[in-house]
Amino acid sequence: MSSLETATNYQTVRWMRKPLWMPTAKSKVFRIPVRPKIPEDESKELMRLHNNYRTQIKSLRRYLTYKHCTRFLASEDPEEKRKAFEEDLKHCMELNNKWNDTQKILREKYIAEQLESELDFARKRIEMEMIRAEEKMSEIEGIVRKEKESSRNFITPENIDESIEHAVENPTDYNFALELDGGKFLGRNEVYKLNEQEKISAQQ
Amino acid sequence: MLHPASGTGIFTAGSALVIRFVRQGCTNRPFFHIVVAEKRKDQHMPVIEQVGTHDPLPNEHNEKLTSLNYERIRHWIGNGAVVSKPVEQLLGLAGFFPIHPTSYMTAWRNRIQEAEQQQNTIDDQQQKHTHP
Repeated sequence: MSSLETATNYQTVRWMRKPLWMPTAKSKVFRIPVRPKIPEDESKELMRLHNNYRTQIKSLRRYLTYKHCTRFLASEDPEEKRKAFEEDLKHCMELNNKWNDTQKILREKYIAEQLESELDFARKRIEMEMIRAEEKMSEIEGIVRKEKESSRNFITPENIDESIEHAVENPTDYNFALELDGGKFLGRNEVYKLNEQEKISAQQ
Repeated sequence: MLHPASGTGIFTAGSALVIRFVRQGCTNRPFFHIVVAEKRKDQHMPVIEQVGTHDPLPNEHNEKLTSLNYERIRHWIGNGAVVSKPVEQLLGLAGFFPIHPTSYMTAWRNRIQEAEQQQNTIDDQQQKHTHP
């Protein structure tokens, strides 16, 4: 503690109020708390008000005790209590049944409407599905038709010799340059032709 | 387990009951529940029943909102619950109880203070007028 007191850069911080078991602080030992000064007329007036207030509260409490205290209320007739309860229950049941009836009509109407709307929805769905299937089918058929048309020019085992012959007879020459206006520029006078040896090898 | 703020309804038979405030809310934001509790229990212990709320901070319309369940307050006072002083003052202002003497006292002290302040300002002005 002494080392703490001598350390000038050390400051003790009390974060809560002084605990009860600690003695009076040194600075507070000779402090005399100031007594409140209430003028005499004020104190008299307060006394009068308090007396009145206490009387009024006392009577109020007595009234409420007679009215609400369970010890006083316990002396009621149980048979009468039961009767009152049953009457209340009957009334409640009647009201409940009435509400249930009205609710039942509403509910049935609501359910019928819901069913109808669901059926409508299903019908629309079926219709849409049908339209979609048709579209799909027509699309497929178009593809098939196109394929069939193009298959006319296919090379099959029957006409393979003919087509080879045709290809050999009419060789295509791509060995040219293009001019700016789209004309072909061969750059030579003769068209390239296969010799006999090459024809045989191509046929094979 | 956390107990319901609306009350557990559990109390020892014959124990002293009191209707008092429980400070809810948080730091710098007081909010009070008005509850029926056992007198010897701590403020934040489970209460018997909550019978109202009180918000001491005025809202945007300069109102301090308070809710009170008169029916239950009547019942509990009838069954021997005493009422703490702040709640007595509040009930007085609500018109359920007679006005508490401290309410009168605070009012007249405030009035006297206000009158004194007004007198002081008048005196100051007069002094300025005579000795500019």
